[in-house]
Amino acid sequence: MNNAQKRFMTTGYGGLPFGEFSQCEAGNIGVLGVPSEVDSGPRIGTSLAPDELRKMTGQLGTDLPANGRDLGNLDLSGDWSGVLMQLVTQMVDHDIVPVVLGGASDVASAVLRALPDLPVVAAMPLARRDLIERPANTIWVGLNGGQPADVWDQISQRTMAWRTARQLDEGHADTLDMPECAVLWIDISVIDLGHAAGAVGLNPGGMKPETLVSVIGAMSCSWQAIVITGLAPARDTRGMSELAAIETLNAALRNG
Amino acid sequence: MGDVAQTQFDSIPSFLGVPVGDLEDLVSGQVAMAGYFCDNLARPAAGQRYLARQLRYASRPGKAPANAIDLGDVNVFPLERDKHFSAVIAQSAAVLEIGARMVLVGGDSSGLKALGIAAQKVTGADVPVIPVTGGIAANLFHTQPVILSVDLQELAANWVSQPRRLTGLSPAQMIAQIDTTSGNVVAAAVFGLAPALDSRGSTETRAALAILQAVTDRLEKGAG
Repeated sequence: MNNAQKRFMTTGYGGLPFGEFSQCEAGNIGVLGVPSEVDSGPRIGTSLAPDELRKMTGQLGTDLPANGRDLGNLDLSGDWSGVLMQLVTQMVDHDIVPVVLGGASDVASAVLRALPDLPVVAAMPLARRDLIERPANTIWVGLNGGQPADVWDQISQRTMAWRTARQLDEGHADTLDMPECAVLWIDISVIDLGHAAGAVGLNPGGMKPETLVSVIGAMSCSWQAIVITGLAPARDTRGMSELAAIETLNAALRNG
Repeated sequence: MGDVAQTQFDSIPSFLGVPVGDLEDLVSGQVAMAGYFCDNLARPAAGQRYLARQLRYASRPGKAPANAIDLGDVNVFPLERDKHFSAVIAQSAAVLEIGARMVLVGGDSSGLKALGIAAQKVTGADVPVIPVTGGIAANLFHTQPVILSVDLQELAANWVSQPRRLTGLSPAQMIAQIDTTSGNVVAAAVFGLAPALDSRGSTETRAALAILQAVTDRLEKGAG
């Protein structure tokens, strides 16, 4: 663990005490920051997200609807994705919900590799091949029309459920068949940049932050792990993107 | 200097462009507007104390309420809690005893607490606080003295430069709520916004100013 931030912060995400995985009890959450950076493209800044989210929950006085520990940030030297997979597996085995604050999408990929058999609810603008190839169907939230044709074909062949941002705005989320338990992956790029500018992906016509919160909050699903990626806080001076991430996470924890 | 230049350079900034006055200038039925320069006593968030100054600078003469005056800022002692509250309560009570109505502008919600105690002292009974989001207001007699609490943190994220919540009221919704508040509104507090002091803050400043105008209009109306 890289615990340098503990020297500057007295409490962790949402007021949780900093601690170790062994201090978590069954039913708790374990918040883990994985400050990886996007490796290409003009929009970077995801490495700042975990600490900025902690800072903002402190400023807002956010009350989490769950107990647990903030485990600090993962040390990204060496085989960090292997360590992350191991940590996530251990937490899930002990009935602790890992809440992983990325980072770039490679953080979510590692989390999903650690839980290969669980279905995924993916809030993201573009469908990903690695998700389509998982054994359980993925539920797609906020897809735009920019997928390659073969990806659409696979989604269609496997009859995966998906909703566009517009459909969700029009209230089409309530018809989604939810699995009993799943992994929740929220890529902040699912939100329209006009509403919240702190995302690494450009997604015109994407979701409104409040729609994302209400859609995720309405899902009756037991989340086995939650991962947030694609947040670049420095690109959003108003803090709307962090606020959207925090409120969405809270909505998920309240229900799941 | 011509009249225009005099207007531009000589006038002291005041809330909504109303005349600046003192306690001696106040008469029964008037609305006394005062700045509340304290943001560290209840739900602290640095910067809320600047709202009064921001709204005075942003106010333009021309649409000033006819029956209101700007009393300046109430004296505050933010680092001495007891002294602070007794001072703010005494000043607020002095205004209410005249029969004037009072609006505290800016700061945190501690001003509301002081207003409540002052109103209780003057009326001899508990004066309910009606939040701008509604609630108990519907069942009040129109003569029941009430205090209106206008927490600008209830504004939706789109309207403020540093949002603390995604969902909430639009300024128009808030103004409509203020207008329909029942009871005899004897005092009000407009608080909870730390205005950005640059161009980003113009939207929230204009929204807060429109809300302050609505609060003043409602206070002038008295018993609704």
